Amino acid sequence: MSSIEPTGAPRQDAKAQDKPRKTRKIKTTKDVNGVPQEIEIEVEDVDGPRWGERKELKLLNTELRRVDGPVKVTGRARFTHDVRLPGMVYARLLCCPYPSAEVEIDVKAALALPGVEAAIVLETKTRFLGQPIAVVAGRTSDHADDALRALKVVYKPLPWAVDRAQALAEGAPNVRKNGNQGKPGQNGDRAEAEAAVAGAAAKLEATYGVPVQHHASLETHGVVVDYTGGEEATVYISTQSTFAAVEQVAELLGLKANQVTCVVEYMGGGFGSKFGLGSEGAAACRVAKELKKPVHLMLRRPDEFVMGGNRSGNRVKYKAGMDKDGALVGLVAEAERFGGLGDGAMARPPYIYSAGKTYSEVVAVYTNTDSSRAMRAPGHPQSSFGMEAVIDELAYQLGLDLLDVRKKNLRDKVYHRQLERVAREIGWFEHPHRTKPGPNSGGKETGIGFGISTWGGGGSGGTECDVQIAGDGSVTVSVGTQDLGTGSRTLVTAIVAEEFGLALGDVVARIGNSRLPSATGSGGSTTTGSLSPAVKDAAWNAREAFSAHLAPLLKTDPALVRFAGGKVFSQANPNVTMTWKQASGTLPNAGLSAHGKWDKDRAAALMGNGVHGAQAAKVEVDTLTGRVRVLAMVGIQDCGLPINRLAVKSQLNGGMIQALSYALFEERVIDPVLGIALNANFEDYKLAGPSEIPEMTALIDDDDPRNAVIGMAEPAVVPGHSAIANAVHNACGARVRDLPLTPDKVLAALGRIA
Amino acid sequence: MSQDPIPEADLSRRLFLRSAGSVAAGGVLAQGLLGACAAERAEARSASAAPSVAEGPEELAGEIEIELELNGAKQKLKVEPRTTLLAALRERCAPPLTGAKDVCDRGNCGACTVHVDGKPAYACLLLAVDLRGKKIKTIEGIGAPENLSALQAAFCEHDASMCGFCTPGFVMSITACLEQHPGADRATIQRACSGNVCRCGTYPHVFAAALATAQQAKKG
Ligand code: FES
Ligand code: FES
Repeated sequence: MSSIEPTGAPRQDAKAQDKPRKTRKIKTTKDVNGVPQEIEIEVEDVDGPRWGERKELKLLNTELRRVDGPVKVTGRARFTHDVRLPGMVYARLLCCPYPSAEVEIDVKAALALPGVEAAIVLETKTRFLGQPIAVVAGRTSDHADDALRALKVVYKPLPWAVDRAQALAEGAPNVRKNGNQGKPGQNGDRAEAEAAVAGAAAKLEATYGVPVQHHASLETHGVVVDYTGGEEATVYISTQSTFAAVEQVAELLGLKANQVTCVVEYMGGGFGSKFGLGSEGAAACRVAKELKKPVHLMLRRPDEFVMGGNRSGNRVKYKAGMDKDGALVGLVAEAERFGGLGDGAMARPPYIYSAGKTYSEVVAVYTNTDSSRAMRAPGHPQSSFGMEAVIDELAYQLGLDLLDVRKKNLRDKVYHRQLERVAREIGWFEHPHRTKPGPNSGGKETGIGFGISTWGGGGSGGTECDVQIAGDGSVTVSVGTQDLGTGSRTLVTAIVAEEFGLALGDVVARIGNSRLPSATGSGGSTTTGSLSPAVKDAAWNAREAFSAHLAPLLKTDPALVRFAGGKVFSQANPNVTMTWKQASGTLPNAGLSAHGKWDKDRAAALMGNGVHGAQAAKVEVDTLTGRVRVLAMVGIQDCGLPINRLAVKSQLNGGMIQALSYALFEERVIDPVLGIALNANFEDYKLAGPSEIPEMTALIDDDDPRNAVIGMAEPAVVPGHSAIANAVHNACGARVRDLPLTPDKVLAALGRIA
Repeated sequence: MSQDPIPEADLSRRLFLRSAGSVAAGGVLAQGLLGACAAERAEARSASAAPSVAEGPEELAGEIEIELELNGAKQKLKVEPRTTLLAALRERCAPPLTGAKDVCDRGNCGACTVHVDGKPAYACLLLAVDLRGKKIKTIEGIGAPENLSALQAAFCEHDASMCGFCTPGFVMSITACLEQHPGADRATIQRACSGNVCRCGTYPHVFAAALATAQQAKKG
C-alpha cells in the first residue's frame, strides 16, 4: 500500500458501456395458428458479456437476501475460529508487554504441566509493543493458558518511543534503522500557497489530529493448521485472501504449494487487516510441524489489539485561506502520520476539494508499536477530518452557508446533487444555524455537519471462475474468492442466476478454497470489480454453450434461445417452452461446464472505478456535560450498477457506524512512561453499540448512469466522523480538533473547563 | 521512560470470576486466585463424587465429569472447575457447539450469549460446573437453516448479518427479549441487545428485523 494515495476519483471512461448498440437480423420460423411462417428477428450483436438494461434485470440491482443468511443466523456457519479436528491442540501466543526488550524465556516448567503439548520461543529481542515472543499449545485452551502462565520470562526492556513526543525527542532511540522519521513527501509550491493564504479574506491556522484506531474485527486473526505429517496440509484461515498464505505455509511445513490447501468458508471481518499468514499463522505452523497434530491458534482479544493491525493516526497543521465568496484560495498542510513501525497512510490534502494554490508535506513518524495496516479506505478518513473542518471554520468566519461553500469548492457536480440530497434528508434547509454555530447555552443544542468521500475501486486480473450445469438442473459456480461479510458469495450466485433466468436458490456458490479457480484478495473495494467480470464471463460462456446445445432442440438459432423465469424457449416461439430441468436433462452425462476469467477488454464493459459519496450527521450536544449524542446520519453513495441493493445499504450503514465509533469513542492508548497498552480490550476500547445508533438512512445514488459495477465499501467509512465533528461545532460552537469527541474535549472547546 | 519490569501476577478478571463465581454458587475451588498451576492441583475426582448439600460446600478439583442440559438434551462432559461455559460448549461438548463465539472472553461483547433458564447470559462469564441442573439453550437450539425462527427469518430478510460473527449473540439476546416482551418497541429491543457489539455495523438492520418480528407477534 503506497503511503500517499492521490485523491480525486479517476472517472470511468464510459465508452465501453455506451457503445452504440449493434444489431443483426436472424431469419427463422414462427408458428402462427399452427402454420409456420418465415420471419426476421433483430437481435443485439454483442462481442462479449454486458449487464443488460437495468429494467430487464430480475436479480441484479434488487434487494437480495444473502444466500448464507440462514447458516449465519443459526450459528451453523463455520468460521476458522470454529474448526474442530480430531486431536487438535489449542495454541496461544505470548506477546511482549514492552515496546522493545531483550527477552529470556524458560519453557521447561510449562512443558512439564499436564495437558501442555508445546512451548516454543519465537523471539528474543523485540521492536514493538505486542510482538509475539513465544507460542504454547495445550489439549484445551485452559491448558494453553496454564502453559502461558508457567513460562518463566525475564524481560530486559530497551529504550523505546511509543508516541510522537518520544519519537521526536532529543536522544530518542532509533525506532527504524534510519531514524524516527520517513522521507517527507512534498507536493506543490509552498511560497505560492503561503502567499495565496496571506491574501485571502478569511484565514485559518489550526492543527487537527486523529488517533490510532483498531480494526477490531470480531473474529480475531488466526488459523487452524491441519498437518499431521505426511504430504498434505489444510490451513483454515481467517483472511481476506484465500490464496495469499499457500506458499508461505508450504515453505514453513516443508511442503510444495500444491500440497497445501487454504480454506476460508466464513470469516468474521477483516477491514483491511487480514492478508497473508501473519506471525500468528507462522507460529501455528511451527507448532504443527513439531507436534504433527492439528493446531488451532486464534489471537486472544488483547493480543489482537496490540499485534493485529491498526489505522494510522495523524496530526496535520493547516493554513488555509478563503475568499469572501467562499472559494478556497490557498492551503498549506503539514502532516505527520503515526503508523508505528509502518508508514501509515494519508490521502493528500486538500483531499477532494479544490483549494487554489496548495502545498502539502507528509512525513511518517515511527514508534515501537505494531505497524499500521490498510484499514477500510486507508488514508481517507484521516484526510477528510481536517479538510471538512477547515471548510466549516472558514465558512463561519465569513458567515456563509456550509452547504453552499462545499459546492463552491467542488468541481465534480455529482457531489452537488449528493450533498443537496443528504441536506434535504437531514433537515438542513429548516435548520436555524446554517451560517454560524448555535449557542453555548448551558442546555442541549442540535447541530448538523457534512462530509464527502471518494474511492477508486476498479478491479484487476487474476480471478477465474467455473460454472457447471448438471443433468438434473443443479447449477454450481466455483471461484476461490472469500466473503468477508461483504456479500461476495451472494454476488457470485446472483450473477449466474440472472444469466439463466433462475432464482438465487437454484445456484450454489462454492468459494473460499484455494483448490477452486484463483481469485484476487479483497482489499480496496476491488472485489466487486475483479470478481464480477470473471463470474459474468463464465456465466456468459456457459449460456452461449447451452444455447448452442439447445438451439436444434428448440429448432431455432442459438442467438434466439432465451432463459427466463426458470424456462427455456426460442424468442421466435415464446409459447413453446422447456423447463430448466427438462433443458438440463438433455445434456450429456457430464453436464456442461464453462470457464471464465477477468479479461481486460471484456471487463471494461462490466466494471468501473471512481465513486462519490456524501454524508450528513445531526447531533445533540449537552453543553453542560459535553456529552454528544448522534441523532441521525444520512449517507448517499454511487456505485455504478448495484449488484445487491440490500448489501450496498448494509455497507453504507456499516461504514457510517464505524465512522460514528471513530468520532466518539475509539482511540488506542499507550502509557508513555510504562510503555504498556492501556485499553487493549473491549471495555476500555469502546466500539459503538446498539444504544449509540441513531436513525440511519442509506441511499443509493441512482442518478449514476454507469452500467458497470464498482466496489463501494471503502468510501462508506470516509466522511462520517468529519460530519459528526462538524455537527458538534455547528450545534454550539465547540470545535474539537482531535478525535475522539469525548465530553472533556467538548467542554474544553466550550471554555467550560480548562 | 520507566524501564521497570511489569509484575508478572496475572490477576485477570476471568481468573477472579472463576473463583468468585463458584464460591458464590456454594462451591469452594481448590484453585488459588493467582496463577494457579495445574500441576499443583489435586488429581481429578470422579463424577461419582456428586455434590452433597448436607456435607457443606462442595470441593472440586482437576478434571471432573458433569452433566449439563443443553438444548433440551442431557449431556455428560469433562470440565475443570475453572472451565467457562463458553469453553465447555466450544471445546468439550461432543459435537462441539461453536455457535456461541469467543470474542472478548470477558463480558464485553455479547457474542457468547446463551440462555440459562430462559434468561440471556454471557457464557464466557459462567463456570460450567455452576450450571448443573440448569437449562441451557444455545443458538443451536433456536432454529435450523431449513427451519428458521421468526426472528432468524427476519434477520435474513433485513440483512441483519454481514460477517455474521456477532449474529448468534444478537439472535440470543433478542429472542429472550421477545419471549418476555412479544410486542417490544425499538427502545426495548435496543436495550435488550445493548450488551452485544457488531463491528460490521448491522445494528439498524438488526433493529428492523427485531421490530418486524415484534409487530408480527402483535398482529398474532
Ligand atoms: S465473549 Fe463473552 S461477552 Fe464477549
Ligand atoms: S456482522 Fe460482522 S460483527 Fe456483526
